[in-house]
Amino acid sequence: MSLLNRWNKNIATLISTRGEALYVGRTRLRIVQSICLLLFALVLIRLGDLTLMQTPNEPNIDRKHASVQSMERADIVDRNGVLLATTLQVSSLYADPTLIENKAFVANQLEAILDVDNLISKIDRKGRFVWIKRGLTPSEHFKVNALGIPGLAFRTETRRFYPQGNLSSHVVGYTSVDSRGLAGMELEYDDRLAQGGEALSLNMDVRVQHALVKSLRLQMDNFNALAAMGGVVDIQTGEVVAAVSLPDFDPHHAGKADKSALRNRFAQGVYEMGSTFKLFSTANYIEKTGKSFSKTFDAREPLKEGRFTINDYHAEKRILTLPEVFIHSSNIGSALMGRAIGSENMQKFYTDLGFMDKMDVDFPGNPKPLTPSPWRDVNTLTASYGHGIAVTPLHVLQAAATIANNGVRPTLSFAKDAQHDPIQSRVLSASTAYKMRQLLRLNVTDGSGKQADVPGYMVGGKTGTSEKAGKGGYDKDRLLSSFLGVFPVDNPRYAVLAVLDEPKGNKKSHGYATGGWTAAPVVGDVISDMTRVLGMMPNPKAPNLTAGLSRYLKKENTITPASYQR
Amino acid sequence: MINFSSTASSNLTIWGKVKSLPYILILLIITVAGLGGIALYSAAGGEFYHWADKHFLRFSFLFTGMIIIAVIHLKYWYWLSYPLWLVGFTLLLIVELMGQVGMGAQRWINLGFMNLQPSELMKIAVIMSLARYYHDIGIRGARKYKNLMWPAIIMGLPMALVMLQPDLGTALMIGMGGISVLFLAGVPARLFIVGIIALSAIIPLSYQYVLKDYQRARVDTFLDPSRDPMGAGYHVTQSKIAIGSGGVNGKGFLEGTQSRLNFLPEKHTDFIFTLWTEEHGFTGGLFIIGLYIATFVFGFIYAFQAKHVFSRLLILGLCINLSLYVMINTGMVMGVLPVVGVPLPLVSYGGSAMLAALICYGLIISARVHHGQPIPKGEDF
Repeated sequence: MSLLNRWNKNIATLISTRGEALYVGRTRLRIVQSICLLLFALVLIRLGDLTLMQTPNEPNIDRKHASVQSMERADIVDRNGVLLATTLQVSSLYADPTLIENKAFVANQLEAILDVDNLISKIDRKGRFVWIKRGLTPSEHFKVNALGIPGLAFRTETRRFYPQGNLSSHVVGYTSVDSRGLAGMELEYDDRLAQGGEALSLNMDVRVQHALVKSLRLQMDNFNALAAMGGVVDIQTGEVVAAVSLPDFDPHHAGKADKSALRNRFAQGVYEMGSTFKLFSTANYIEKTGKSFSKTFDAREPLKEGRFTINDYHAEKRILTLPEVFIHSSNIGSALMGRAIGSENMQKFYTDLGFMDKMDVDFPGNPKPLTPSPWRDVNTLTASYGHGIAVTPLHVLQAAATIANNGVRPTLSFAKDAQHDPIQSRVLSASTAYKMRQLLRLNVTDGSGKQADVPGYMVGGKTGTSEKAGKGGYDKDRLLSSFLGVFPVDNPRYAVLAVLDEPKGNKKSHGYATGGWTAAPVVGDVISDMTRVLGMMPNPKAPNLTAGLSRYLKKENTITPASYQR
Repeated sequence: MINFSSTASSNLTIWGKVKSLPYILILLIITVAGLGGIALYSAAGGEFYHWADKHFLRFSFLFTGMIIIAVIHLKYWYWLSYPLWLVGFTLLLIVELMGQVGMGAQRWINLGFMNLQPSELMKIAVIMSLARYYHDIGIRGARKYKNLMWPAIIMGLPMALVMLQPDLGTALMIGMGGISVLFLAGVPARLFIVGIIALSAIIPLSYQYVLKDYQRARVDTFLDPSRDPMGAGYHVTQSKIAIGSGGVNGKGFLEGTQSRLNFLPEKHTDFIFTLWTEEHGFTGGLFIIGLYIATFVFGFIYAFQAKHVFSRLLILGLCINLSLYVMINTGMVMGVLPVVGVPLPLVSYGGSAMLAALICYGLIISARVHHGQPIPKGEDF
């Protein structure tokens, strides 16, 4: 107080006695002091703002990265509520080394209980906090507790558990130690899951998923394939009911899985799908030219386009009708269709089907397909039989669902609350779409897809066998064999895709590793399994879509095993 | 030449000076440094012999130095102003040239027991030199524009060198300290108004053309830390979480999880205030800033009571210099200023900043202790 008094007195006397010079000095002194104190007041206000007020905006960006653990991450369940991922509390053991007396003894005791090495180096150091082991089992927790060693303590942490294990690992994905989504749905819906609350419902049905995994794994083993993938999509809603990529991995130890197993092949791998694409080029051809099934194509000679020559795998060496081109999977015939369609129309249609861009789907990491650039006329010809354009299996499923859904493209979705684009766009007329269903069915009754048939369920489908690109061209011995099925063709509900990567022919298949031999049986098995679990009744009264089509097929040409082909 | 008996004043004996030291201010300084040691003990995870021991050791040495500075007659500091400026400037040149020759972008000189940053000393020398210059020319001289040449050189040369290092933050601090001395000295007010207008035009331009990429990134992240929360915005984002998590009373001593679980790098240097506030909350932060403000209020009062221009300008200039450290440091860890790497004096781990802070306080106290003593204009040894 006395200081202040003296201060005031000084000012008074100084102003009166010393005049202008000091007066200016003092005024400015006060200005500077006031500014200084004002700035400090701002600093203190900010301090209060940070510590006392909880501004809702600011920590939001941070919470995702820093303090996730405080919030319990939401569960993930399948479409029927089966638990796919949940968060459990586990205890983690840590030590305060300064409180531990006999360090060697304690290290020995702990090593006997916990499966960890070289504990002594952790305990015998400065500092007051060191993790011994995180995520103890209840029995480990009990045993360590029973030791009663001072300086050891537990901290409760959360861990992500996946009750279905490998089954859905590629769809559900996995999280990091601090519960941040790193792949699959865990990544796609990371923010939503991190906020906790209600479980995230997927469109997946674990029963269908299981059927698909089982059949794919079986064929993968039978044909000694490198990998296999597939999916089941609800044609009308675009819901992804099953999606499989083999090899898969244990989501609890994703860090230890090898790279090949972590690769998500159905959503993130791109492949030249081969003849499966004839479904799309043929649809395009019928739509653009209005030609009927009686239209014929000269497949007697290989087709030359510039310096390229297009051959058939098992050449019929005759003039083929349009349905014959489809079921014999004639590359020459398809290329002729492509030539008639023209490059511009072809690119437009493939764009409409979604082949030219990454998909609008709630799954992370779906890539932009590899498409010819620049697009030359020869690319139009190869693209009509699925070469020179590489897409993900998910792209194929969406395009197939479009054809089967009377030409209207659904948006695929993995989770129930996916942000749907409500406007479904028509890319094909209903009449062309109907003709395509006829051809798909014909291919199963009279063509390469016989092994996919399930009596009573009107399965239609198209095989595909492409040679994988290797050094200096395509490699005849490294195949990508696939089957794209749709059922029931009279009123399509599901599209099923199965793909095997580099299957090798076996005795039963007479050495063949084509889509008809390897992938079609998978689709047949899955359909027969899923119709049972979903309670779909066979329909013996289904209209016969292929009635009258036999007149377009050459009678004496029966399908031999050898021509279960591309 | 040194003749203490030339003026008959009792506080010119060493004992008299020691008796007239401002003990409350000194106690405040010791308290701040003590809290710094406590914070460093916590930052090391409850370990004394990591940072805290060296902090206290350094403080006891430099504190003794501060008292010595305080009892040396202010007229010697007046005389030494220009020579010290020259020494500081030479050291800056050496650092700059060494950097050119190939020792990397070093900003310091290794003295063995500590690394000395010449730019820290330069901030003080600039204030001393300006105080002396305006002391010599008086208020009437300060009004003349031609007399701005020397102050421009005194401030401009070191700023340019520091800017070359490149250390924009320090350059701006030298500038702000110097300009506040100019203002206090009575340089025409309209000059500052024009200056402020010019600055507001120059700042956006310099953002485009003068700032280096990393400096621009700092400004960008400062304006929106969420644009890069795992990269350049990481420090600030983590720091704000940590401070915010402190609440009113903090999480308690040694309980600051955010800082101690290494979410926060540099927790013992530039971000020590974050750790302190996380553990001691709003009240803890308020307390430590309050201690600083109290020391500055002492300075303000001394400046008011100062009998001559040198003393007044010196005290205020040094107070401004110190408060710039505190404001910029706390401002940057709380996300109101860009991260420019300014430590919290007496609390952050590190020798240069503590040395600079204690020299400042030493000179302030010297000006106080000798405030009755006249200082002749333009006189030297």
